[in-house]
Amino acid sequence: MSLLELKNVSKIYGDLKALDNVNVHVDKGEWVAIMGPSGSGKSTMMNIIGCMDKPTLGEVLLDGVDIAKESSKKLTDIRRDKIGLIFQQFHMVNYLTAVENVMVSQYYHSMPDEQEALEALGRVGLRERAHHLPSQLSGGEQQRVCVARALINHPELILADEPTGNLDEANENIVLDLFAQLHAEGTTLIVVTHDPEVADAAQRTIVLEHGKVAREVINENFEAQQKEWLARLAPEVAR
Amino acid sequence: MTRRKMFLRMITASLLRRRSRMLIALLSIGIGATILAGLITIYVDVPRQMGAQFRSFGANMLLLPDDEKSMDTAQVKEALKQIPENQLVGAAPYRYIRVDMTTRQQSFSAAGTDFGQITKTSPYFSVEGRFPEKTREILIGKEIAETIGAREGSDMELTWQPATAGAEGDPAEDRQPGAVLSGSAVGWSGGTVYVTVRLDESSRIASLTIDAGTQTPEIGGMTQTDEGFLRQFIGLSLPLEAGKDVDALSGATVTSSAVVEALNSARSADKTAAAKTVKYTVTGILTTGGEEESYIFMSLEDMAAMTGTDTVDVAELSVSASAEELDSYAAQITENTDGIRARLVKRVTRSETAVLGKLQSLVFLVTAVVLILTMICVSTTMMAVVSERRREIGLRKALGASDGSIRAEFLGEGMFLGLLGGIFGAILGFVFAQVVSVNVFGSSITFQPLLLPAAVIVSMGVAAVSCLQPIRRAVAIDPAIVLKDE
Repeated sequence: MSLLELKNVSKIYGDLKALDNVNVHVDKGEWVAIMGPSGSGKSTMMNIIGCMDKPTLGEVLLDGVDIAKESSKKLTDIRRDKIGLIFQQFHMVNYLTAVENVMVSQYYHSMPDEQEALEALGRVGLRERAHHLPSQLSGGEQQRVCVARALINHPELILADEPTGNLDEANENIVLDLFAQLHAEGTTLIVVTHDPEVADAAQRTIVLEHGKVAREVINENFEAQQKEWLARLAPEVAR
Repeated sequence: MTRRKMFLRMITASLLRRRSRMLIALLSIGIGATILAGLITIYVDVPRQMGAQFRSFGANMLLLPDDEKSMDTAQVKEALKQIPENQLVGAAPYRYIRVDMTTRQQSFSAAGTDFGQITKTSPYFSVEGRFPEKTREILIGKEIAETIGAREGSDMELTWQPATAGAEGDPAEDRQPGAVLSGSAVGWSGGTVYVTVRLDESSRIASLTIDAGTQTPEIGGMTQTDEGFLRQFIGLSLPLEAGKDVDALSGATVTSSAVVEALNSARSADKTAAAKTVKYTVTGILTTGGEEESYIFMSLEDMAAMTGTDTVDVAELSVSASAEELDSYAAQITENTDGIRARLVKRVTRSETAVLGKLQSLVFLVTAVVLILTMICVSTTMMAVVSERRREIGLRKALGASDGSIRAEFLGEGMFLGLLGGIFGAILGFVFAQVVSVNVFGSSITFQPLLLPAAVIVSMGVAAVSCLQPIRRAVAIDPAIVLKDE
């Protein structure tokens, strides 16, 4: 069943076509990577899917709603209710502790619940670091807090923009493991990246070039990868 | 946890964990609030402060008898009840009489008053020696002291003459059939001649006695006994004309005229009293630079003992009140107190009001300038806060914060700063006002309980207004742009 569908989407800035008649389709529960060099339209696409920007032309159906036609106030509501965002630069509120940062997301969504926020931090392995300020956390830890924050409201879609771009390999693997777990639980994942290794972790990769979809690559090894991950991370799920 | 709690947690965290930036904002609000609270305190207190200063220039209200007669102390007390006690600085009654200084055959003006009040209504009275405290003690003006060579501790013998001319109304009223009248007039070399006359059934002179003891015995003194001189008065009607109705005693024209004058001004005996001589002790010499220096001051009680009557000619009041209040008190007293009318010393009240008005508008102006400066300062700081937190604001929006939430958070922070700044400001402002008051006015001020809430509300209001522009900017931030910024 389709969660996201871009139909003939274009984003035009003056003479520049950041996106040029793009058609993309993402099913519920799918893990999709969007790849492409700088200037290929990745960020524009990410902003449009993340309800932070609107296309010039075309339809963007998220859960059956055409977000291209919604007001920015309504877009804020959709973003809050359906999408969990993860950024390359982590972006935490620097004067709030890890758990408070997770709670900010709850606060805007519905009701802050410290216990639930602590559990989410536990899932990303940071239960012990919950009361540390961002400045006291490593980059990897910060990004894991952001993952916890993105999943706290149980969004339909987690949209990650270069989530491992500022991480070392060890932390990159931790984040990818978390994505694998989320995928196993049925969360839809869209990961924008230029890192082939990160793209290879996904089920399917959409490659953008000059604002157009150049090709789509299906990851033939995905099932095996997922099995291997799950056996390592959550043996009970694997069985 | 409720949303409200999370809201407060975020705001306090923002203020407490981002100390340096917020301290600057807090400092600007705090300093603004301090100066504001200080100025407001002074503004409110200026009339009181200056009022006290003005009151040292003398009375600003007079109580006068309604019909050119005189009042008594009970009436004055009744009138004073109509002025709030805390505004009445002092009320000095005055009664004026003429007294003779027996030993020098000189007469002076004497003022009966209340020395306890005089120091309040006329603080400029400067006394060499001390104010009288006991009975039979007097204060004399510098001019008199110089004339008679009196000093502190000198004795002075004073005589009060029941001046017939002083009795009210026309002496003709008293010339009833069978009446006994007495009168006096000044004769030869300042000496007084006294007469007592009895009228018959048709109001003509039935008998006459003359007391010319102050006159030269062989000349004017003869008027007392010369039968020819005395007999010509019998059967005549008052008033008389010297030289026409009666002839002067040969060689004693002045005394004879005095007798006629005394008869013409003679009043019934119950309206006059006997002359009385009392010995007083001078306790101090008064210097004022004004006409008070030619007066003898004694207590109203001493004067009443001397004259046998207890009246007041005028009461000088020093009232610490605005021009409008003074007007209403005066009208009230005139309206409600029988036999008394109140009059304002316009010159004093008008200049007082003018100076107060100018001072208050000056303080008001400075307050307004400080308010604007504070607003600019807070606004600038908040603007810096917003641009410093662009990314955080973008993140909050990306996480689903509505424009309303962003507004509420920044306004909340601003108001919280206003609250803290207001509390600090009210306390420091009072200290500031106290220092100014002590140094400029030389007196301390009382803490206005309303100052704290007023300062807090004003600071919060200023903080809120200062945040409007920064908030507009914060709301306009596009998360897609700021979150991409490297």
